[in-house]
Amino acid sequence: MSKNLWWKILLIVVPLGLSVAAIYPPKDKIALGLDLRGGAHILMQIDTGSAIAYSTDLAQTRIGQALKDAKIAYGAISSSAPGTIKIEGVDPTRSADVRQVLEIPVGEWSISGSGGSYTLEMPMSVRQAQERLAIESTLDTLRTRVDGLGVREAVVQPSGKDRVLVLLPGVEDPDRVKGILQDPAVLEWKKVVYPPGVTDYRNWRPPTSREEVLTMFGGALPPGVKVYPETRPDGSGGSVTTWWPVGESVVIGKDITNAQRGSGQWGGHNISFRLSKDAGRRFEAATREYVNKHMAIVLGSARDESKHVVSAPTINEPISDQGQITGSFTLEQAEDLSLKLRSGAIPADVRIIEERTVGPSLGRDSIRKGVLAGVVGFLSVMAFMLVYYRLSGLNAVIALALNVPLLLGAMAYFGASLSLPGIAGLILTLGMAVDANVLIFERIREELRLGKTVRQAVDLGFSRAFLTIVDCHITTLVSAFFLFSYGTGPVKGFAVSLTIGIIVSMFTAVFVSRVIYQIVLGEGRPVEALSI
Amino acid sequence: MLQILHETNIDFMSKRKMWMTISAVLVVLSIVVIAVRGINLGVEFKGGTELQIKYVAKPDVGQVRAQLDAAGFRSPSVTRIGREQENEVYIRLASEGAAASQAEKGQGVVTRVKEALRPPELKARLNEGAVDLNEADANTLQQLLALAPGMDPERAKQMADHVLERRKEKGVLAGVQDVASVPGMTPEVTTFLQGKAFAGPFAFRSQSYIGPTIGAELVRKAVTAIVLSMIGMLVYIAFRFRMEMGIGAVVALIHDTIITLGIFALFGKEMSLPVVAAFLTLVGYSTNDTVVIFDRIRENLKNHPGADLITTINHSVNQTLSRTILTSGLTWLTVTSLWLFGGEPLEPFAFVMVVGIIVGTYSSVYIASPYVLLWQAWRTRGKSVKAAPAKAAGTAPAVPREGAPPARRATKVRKASSAR
Repeated sequence: MSKNLWWKILLIVVPLGLSVAAIYPPKDKIALGLDLRGGAHILMQIDTGSAIAYSTDLAQTRIGQALKDAKIAYGAISSSAPGTIKIEGVDPTRSADVRQVLEIPVGEWSISGSGGSYTLEMPMSVRQAQERLAIESTLDTLRTRVDGLGVREAVVQPSGKDRVLVLLPGVEDPDRVKGILQDPAVLEWKKVVYPPGVTDYRNWRPPTSREEVLTMFGGALPPGVKVYPETRPDGSGGSVTTWWPVGESVVIGKDITNAQRGSGQWGGHNISFRLSKDAGRRFEAATREYVNKHMAIVLGSARDESKHVVSAPTINEPISDQGQITGSFTLEQAEDLSLKLRSGAIPADVRIIEERTVGPSLGRDSIRKGVLAGVVGFLSVMAFMLVYYRLSGLNAVIALALNVPLLLGAMAYFGASLSLPGIAGLILTLGMAVDANVLIFERIREELRLGKTVRQAVDLGFSRAFLTIVDCHITTLVSAFFLFSYGTGPVKGFAVSLTIGIIVSMFTAVFVSRVIYQIVLGEGRPVEALSI
Repeated sequence: MLQILHETNIDFMSKRKMWMTISAVLVVLSIVVIAVRGINLGVEFKGGTELQIKYVAKPDVGQVRAQLDAAGFRSPSVTRIGREQENEVYIRLASEGAAASQAEKGQGVVTRVKEALRPPELKARLNEGAVDLNEADANTLQQLLALAPGMDPERAKQMADHVLERRKEKGVLAGVQDVASVPGMTPEVTTFLQGKAFAGPFAFRSQSYIGPTIGAELVRKAVTAIVLSMIGMLVYIAFRFRMEMGIGAVVALIHDTIITLGIFALFGKEMSLPVVAAFLTLVGYSTNDTVVIFDRIRENLKNHPGADLITTINHSVNQTLSRTILTSGLTWLTVTSLWLFGGEPLEPFAFVMVVGIIVGTYSSVYIASPYVLLWQAWRTRGKSVKAAPAKAAGTAPAVPREGAPPARRATKVRKASSAR
């Protein structure tokens, strides 16, 4: 054999060896998609608008506080849309000071108006920065929470502009995980505001409806007071909801530096937490003021309607930087809540827009069926090729057989995992791979019929069919490209295996088959007949 | 030499009007079927929840539906899937309103469906603290097994894994006896399990939830991908061959897609993302055959410049016929095997390929090539079409357009062919 041929053989053996090394043993080395190994695939949408709404709310509170601190009287602060705040009824004699006062809470906002009313707008640059920040910190928080779940090889990655993809291999029951991922977990300690006339603070119990609370306050809530529900078991299997009037926040989720699940004295579960130094001081002052009174622990998102009271303990003594949340928690609830508190709040509303969970038994079935379909397909193609083209058919079958390890090896090399549609792609490429061989063989037969010698016919067959093969496969590559660009999840896997499969099959049909002919036909000596 | 077809000499082109009429009728029929029956959009496009459940015994679909109705799910759809003996059902639930989703927050859909389907006596056992072997996760199993007589934590962990492995293998456990033979199991532990555990009548296999907004987005993406890839084909073929061939190929593609979609709708198959992938693959694959024929037409035009177009196309189709049938047939063999053995999730995908390859192969011969002729006839309208090729003989394969230099087209063909 010539040196040239040896090089060609090397060019086949080396990639083959690398591929086999990359996928052997297949059980450990072939990366399977979640639809084959089992697990949950969760796509979440971050509502960046809610982050803007949240910071608008915050700005309103801070403006009110700043005006109060500067002793400027005002009528109302309202917001018609996120990013827009209106201040009305401001004392006209102090209009010179207003802009200066607003400098601190909303310095970057554009302020217009004069005399008694002002309109404040959040500029686009601030809005974009806020949205980016919201997305980044949501990702961070989700990562921490997913890590806390203890799922091996979990993935949290951004997807598109404002989406997050969470992959959780092996998770069979996604309900609990979804609760943890979606909960914004904005935690606040709020002072309970007692209705007028209440003297026995310690034993006061809130009413069971919102309307009753309003009646107690004489029909309207004082400014800054909100009412949130607390639901507790009533001891006989049902549950009871009471409504707490609460005022300003003392501590918010960001102030919590650590949270752990602990066991209570009476066997229940609780959460112990630790606050930052600064928050600790604030907390101490507030709890000193509130000894023998209630403080409500409120959990929810930035939006009012999602907020609820987790528990409303009576303060027994001033607390500084460590405390406990006791409520009627099960072990799992206590575990989940402490994880959420540890990881911090999600600054924007997130919701699950797509979720797929495949149990491991289904994944295994799919693999089994996919392999069966592949083997049957391969064997039928093989049988046909051997009968129809005889020894040349054997050549094609060898090339076809090389396809499988090369394709899987290439996928392993590119870090692509095999999904269920990916298996379909693989089986499909087996069919398409023979296309090229058939094109070549038919061409060789034609040339032989025209009276060419075997060697000439083989050479012409390969060279004439080559461009046709390229043309054919490029059309399929074009569709695979669009499939990849517009497909999601498992379908992308199909596009990947189809693309790699087509490229590999061109290599095997055009190059490998030719080398096999060269080896078999030898060089120099004339060949009498070709088994085709 | 074994051959399916000996040198054929079928006059495909003379019957082109008949075949094109048949195709047009089929396309119209398909559009009617699609319009009347509608396309059965799967949960991915409509939004909603889909659950796959495997029962131990043959499930009573009516009863499952009644149980879900009773639990307050709005119009649940329950269908049997797969082979009879696999005892599997799909449950599809429409996207629920905002009010319902608030209720879901505390309790996910899976939990609620499980509650609804569980027989009352098993609910009672669960409340007593018994464990459902078809549901328990590794932790629960381990905690349970650790309580068995003579068990140490390490062994409990291993056995929990073995039990899960058995469940993976069987899909659903019929009873405690199913795990009696896992490695390390002793009669004492089995007896213990019989008291503390049971196997529920079903196990969950998969679940997907698609939000309503993403469904619309996926439809848009799917349509965009298919249209763009057809344009891609047009551009590629126009670039490599000629414009009219590109248009011919795309006309054939639209024909294939509509007819396949019509048959798909006729059988009431469910549209899903893999099915869209199948249609896209089809766009690429059915162009494949067309390209082979066009390639041969181009080569023949170059080698026999004197022949007229009808003869050339006929000859080219005949020359490539056996390989067209062979390659399509072989790919068809593999997708058929996928259709028969590939399992439920890939069935609609394989179905589209099985149907589409047949339609695509037919259209390469009877639609794409005659279209090229039709195009020529249209461009030379007013002149005698029959006479035209004869007149053009010797210069160009086709009739040069008025005003265009006669040599131009010939050059173009030569240029394209000289690439080889």
